[in-house]
Amino acid sequence: MRAFLIVLALALGFGGVAIADEIPPARAGAPTVAPPGAPGVDGTLAPAVVKAPKDRDRTEGKGTGMALLFWACALGTVGGAIFVITRRNMIAAVMGMVGTFIAVAALYMMLYAHFLAVIQMLVYAGAIMVLFVFVIMVLNRPEDEPWALTGLPGKALAGLAMLYLTFRLGQTVWSVKADANALAAPAAVTVTLGKKVDPVTRAISQDTESYHWGSTGAVGKSLFHDYLFPFEAISILLLAAVVGAIAVARPWKDEDSPDDLNEDVPSEVVS
Amino acid sequence: MNDILLHVGFGHFLVLAAVLFAIGVAGVLLRRNALIVMMSIELMLNAANITIVTFARMHHDLNGLSFALIVIAVAAAEIAVGLAILIAVFRGRRHVDVDRLNTLKY
Repeated sequence: MRAFLIVLALALGFGGVAIADEIPPARAGAPTVAPPGAPGVDGTLAPAVVKAPKDRDRTEGKGTGMALLFWACALGTVGGAIFVITRRNMIAAVMGMVGTFIAVAALYMMLYAHFLAVIQMLVYAGAIMVLFVFVIMVLNRPEDEPWALTGLPGKALAGLAMLYLTFRLGQTVWSVKADANALAAPAAVTVTLGKKVDPVTRAISQDTESYHWGSTGAVGKSLFHDYLFPFEAISILLLAAVVGAIAVARPWKDEDSPDDLNEDVPSEVVS
Repeated sequence: MNDILLHVGFGHFLVLAAVLFAIGVAGVLLRRNALIVMMSIELMLNAANITIVTFARMHHDLNGLSFALIVIAVAAAEIAVGLAILIAVFRGRRHVDVDRLNTLKY
């Protein structure tokens, strides 16, 4: 199991680092842009210009980092799922499930469903995991040995790897120059298209459809235009679920049949 | 072989979702702890979601994302109610073994 986790972490790390190494050339898509003074500069868009971002957009990415990251996420997904159905310790099963959920969120990211990836992290890896852990705490007896001091070297190694990956992530994020035009909403970018904008902004705005495909705004538009009734129905459903959960899980009062569940149960040993 | 490994396409995502769904089915059928069964159901819902999102991306259709969002919400509601039922069952019988929860059969 530890070997599996180590392999997974290594694959994720190398995939992420490879992707991070691939990004700067694509981000500096400026060099591949036609040199200043070329015919296309005064606002007209030259299609051949945006080669690098286009290539990154396709899910069928040819990059080694992309493939490595996909296989790492696939490993995490399947490994976590197998973990769920094989562990006897239920907390371990929940942790495997959380790994699956996080890997699935990464898969959503690869499919350009950014908003759904965030929702997956919030709802599944956040709320549902907490729910499961709470129920396990209710159902299980306390552990005999709450602290695990074994395997400290592995934990130290994992911590170091985590630090390194965080450092690389921060490095990548900070190396990206924040450009007001690039950060603006798609509409604003479209507005500036007619004027003279710098090549990177133009490359990004030309790719607007792809970059904003799964964004919050796009999903929200679909959700509130075409699926408004299902959305409202979901709110009713969630309300009913909350009320139902409270009603079901509430402790039995003495007056309403306290032990009727126990009546026709063959007397079983408390497990 | 190298092509399959290095050129990740939509088929990869679909096959991964199928594998995840199969694992979820196996968990539902094989495990007896009701909590694990519910986790396996979550796995299956996630596999369905991956398929939906993959097809949505394939067809550049945003409606699939709305549908996936609704699936997530329904899954959350289902888990809330299911875990509440589990707690109620556990309070009565001190176990959540689905093989021994057979009173409704008779």
